[in-house]
Amino acid sequence: MDTITLENVSLSFKAKPNPFVVLDDINLSLNKGEFVVLLGPSGCGKSTILNLVAGFNRPDQGRVLVNGKPVLKPGADRGMIFQQPNLFPWLTVLENVAFGPTLGKHNKQQVNDQATEWLARVGLRGFEHHSPWQLSGGMKQRVALARAWLPGPEVLLLDEPFGALDAQTRLMMQELLRNAWLGTDTTLLFVTHDVEEALFLADRIVIMSAKPGKIVEEVISPFGRERDIEALVEHPQYGELKHHVLHRVREEAKRHLR
Amino acid sequence: MRLSQHIGISVVSVAVFLAAWQLVATRQWVDPLLLPSLTDIGLTTEELVVDGYRQVPLWEHIAVSLGRALSGFAAAIIIGIPLGLLMGLSDKLAAVLNPFVQFLRPLPKIALIPLVIVWLGIGEGSKFFLIFIATFLSVVVGAAAAVERISRSRIRVAQTLGASPRQIFLRVVLPETLPELFTTVRLSIGIGWTSLIAAEMIAANSGIGWMVINASSYLRTDIVMLGILLLGGIGYLLDLLLLALQQLCAPWAGKE
Repeated sequence: MDTITLENVSLSFKAKPNPFVVLDDINLSLNKGEFVVLLGPSGCGKSTILNLVAGFNRPDQGRVLVNGKPVLKPGADRGMIFQQPNLFPWLTVLENVAFGPTLGKHNKQQVNDQATEWLARVGLRGFEHHSPWQLSGGMKQRVALARAWLPGPEVLLLDEPFGALDAQTRLMMQELLRNAWLGTDTTLLFVTHDVEEALFLADRIVIMSAKPGKIVEEVISPFGRERDIEALVEHPQYGELKHHVLHRVREEAKRHLR
Repeated sequence: MRLSQHIGISVVSVAVFLAAWQLVATRQWVDPLLLPSLTDIGLTTEELVVDGYRQVPLWEHIAVSLGRALSGFAAAIIIGIPLGLLMGLSDKLAAVLNPFVQFLRPLPKIALIPLVIVWLGIGEGSKFFLIFIATFLSVVVGAAAAVERISRSRIRVAQTLGASPRQIFLRVVLPETLPELFTTVRLSIGIGWTSLIAAEMIAANSGIGWMVINASSYLRTDIVMLGILLLGGIGYLLDLLLLALQQLCAPWAGKE
């Protein structure tokens, strides 16, 4: 069943003298519980798609539907994680994670238990009462992950969430994200320009081109549900697929340099 | 530099300055009328504590000035911070109020004294008003600027977690601006404290500002110096107090 649907979505920014077409006739459906990665060169409008689903922007044409209902504004059914963790420094780690549920009617003990459990799931047991500024970059992003996931959103939108982390931390975060996702039925829409990241994470990779932003190809991952990052690179199809995807992305990137 | 080291250097620097002052004054390298020695000022202080200045004890001068200033500050903060935050959030409100705020803010408040006397008389009302208006305008501008500087992305995070506009204001905008509001209040209180002298030029018969002005017309430089030391010292203490309060209420300031 489709949770997220973009139907003939177009969007342009009204720059002078020429309006700038960001997205041109985008059609995309996400199945419930699917892990989809939007891959493309910078400026291809992949983050704009996230903003449309989140409800920060509205399309000029077409419709964005969540469970069949058009998106009008941001809401708790669509969680979002940004490149920066954007934690609330005036709250403890636990309070940050519990922020969503505490906005409505809630049982404090129950919410705290859930938050503690989520912190354990992202490997931050024992950091509940720390302040955000006492954590490293990767740890902060894990808190942001738990905070966005705890309320049980229909879909989680991730805008290059590991882009600001160093290579080792990034690998660990990718494994952590995939493992956390396997334990839920949340749909993930993940934006990146990193081909290896896309190959390791995705059920389906959506490759985009820029100027105007268009979907040029969809690749279904042959790697199955359980993945190990070291075993993956040994997979018979890995090299070939990586070469193909890399080629497509570079082709699109080069086209705009001319 | 460690805090203890910082304080240590500051203490030494002040001690050297005071020692030089004392030396210059006791050796009479400068006319005592122009530069009374610290010991003379000490004696004068003792005299003022015991007998008072113009029948008013020294502590009462201090209390009267502090009372005037603090009531002005309190009113300015209580009205100015919400108004400034609202101006920062609403372009329309900012457009309505900005011309007045920006016109009045750089205006030297001394220029308002004749008008204030005509409007509010020579009682406490006019003194309160002058301190209030100086502090208030600075608080409003600072609070509005604090809102403009907050990060859009934290608001977006709160939105995707389902926060209503009211919740965003109370639980994101307010705490996010808190450290900056403290800075604004510190700067504004500095400005408000400065206008104390202006306020006490209006037919007062007590207060440190009045004491300084009155003593100067009798060439009592020692009392003028004492008044200046008190004005500066109390202003410094108020600022340290606010700094401590900021570290207590917004310990995350500057930590991200």
